[in-house]
Amino acid sequence: MFAIRESLIGLRRNGVMTLIAIGIMFFSLFLLGAFLWGTFNLFGVIKLAREKVEINAFLRENLPQKQVEELSEKLMSMVGVEKVEFISKEEALEKFQEEIKDAPSLIEAVKTNPLPASFSVKLKDGFTSPEKVEEVSEKIKIFDEFIAVEYGESWIKRLDRVVKILFLFDILLGIVISSASVFVVSNTIRLTVLARKRTIEVMKLVGATEKTIHAPFILAGAIEGGIAAALSGGLLYLIYQVSSKFFVEFYFPHDFIIGGTIIFGIILGIIGSKLAVKTTSKEMKFESSNV
Amino acid sequence: MIEIRNVSKRFKKGWYALKNIDLSIAKGDFLFLTGQTGSGKTTLLRLIYMDIFPDEGEVAVAGFLSSNIKEEEIPFLRRRIGIIFQDFKLLKDKTVYENVAFALEVTGQSGRKMREKVMKALTLVGLSHKRNDFPYALSGGEQQKTAIARALVREPFILLADEPTGNIDPEGSEEIIKILQEVNTAGTAVLMATHDVDLARKMGGRFLHLEEGQIKTK
Repeated sequence: MFAIRESLIGLRRNGVMTLIAIGIMFFSLFLLGAFLWGTFNLFGVIKLAREKVEINAFLRENLPQKQVEELSEKLMSMVGVEKVEFISKEEALEKFQEEIKDAPSLIEAVKTNPLPASFSVKLKDGFTSPEKVEEVSEKIKIFDEFIAVEYGESWIKRLDRVVKILFLFDILLGIVISSASVFVVSNTIRLTVLARKRTIEVMKLVGATEKTIHAPFILAGAIEGGIAAALSGGLLYLIYQVSSKFFVEFYFPHDFIIGGTIIFGIILGIIGSKLAVKTTSKEMKFESSNV
Repeated sequence: MIEIRNVSKRFKKGWYALKNIDLSIAKGDFLFLTGQTGSGKTTLLRLIYMDIFPDEGEVAVAGFLSSNIKEEEIPFLRRRIGIIFQDFKLLKDKTVYENVAFALEVTGQSGRKMREKVMKALTLVGLSHKRNDFPYALSGGEQQKTAIARALVREPFILLADEPTGNIDPEGSEEIIKILQEVNTAGTAVLMATHDVDLARKMGGRFLHLEEGQIKTK
């Protein structure tokens, strides 16, 4: 009860300091939330690209239907295989004609169907790295029924390299942004605590325990962090709304971005205040002009 | 209640703020601690409320020993002693009443019993009529009285006063000392540090003179 009342009094009577603290926390949390949002979208794009990874296994001519079906089941039961799709000679031709429809002379040249039937094998998440794809395709090659197995080796390797670079960059950026916000926020909170140094001094003087001294400051920090986080979460949501209406529809997982920002804000407020009040209280010697 | 045995306190290299101090204060004592600025008065008081610790010797206060007191026990020691300062150390954003009540609230007291204790302490220093005023509206003497009320509201066995009249005009100073004497008559020991030797002589009673960290007269 005492802690709640004292924290509210502290927030109100140090109005300007409180607003500055909330403002700085808002800015830091907004940056952090935007980073989180960007990361989610980056992963979304990577996932989309990885879904395009597939192995094409081309069949010998004139295999009996039954053998094809058995083969399909065998492929399906292999580790890492998500989906197996059969593409008949006719479908392959249609697809090819579709691809070259801008060159009618070429279509005319294709009188008979030279294209083999094939299986398009999609892989599960976690099996799309160059090594894994190669591993699966080597296993597919064992079957005599295939004349060729290919998977766009160079494209997959390039994708893998790009993903690794993006990943590293994202992690570095994440470390820089979060440590900067922790640093800035804890220093701001330290200023608000120093502004109430006299209160801490008097509390120590009349025999308040460290726990009692800390409680109002920690509560105030949690309130400031919560308000700042709710504001930045709100602004991010607003930006999402505006951008999806007028520009691009970004992926926006509400729970993670808004919830995550608020939880992080409150934790940041609590830890920042706890550290600030602890150091201030520890360093405190009763100031006096006398020796 | 307070035993100071052969205590020395060094601050900078080799510089003694206090040297070989022996002192005992019993229940109901009134003791002036005189000496010039820098003679070690404040250091002695800080050793008693354990804001600092001796380099040699031992301080014993109400059963707490400077040699083995734990950090988390210090608040409980402070609850047994009242302390006032030259600069009053009042909270500017709280009224007279709130300043005094604060000393009880931080240890979880509330309700009617607390209000009675606060009013009793304010009546004792003659400030009950100004309970709703803020410190800036009070004279120096009244601010110090508020600080005394805050120190007494816990009914300590001793009141430590560090130059309590340093910022107050002579008339107000005598009033403060009169209150301290009344407090003492009611059974609380008082240890008052002052550089004003004449004032101490005039008021009578036991006094201890410090010079460069050593006791010169008793």
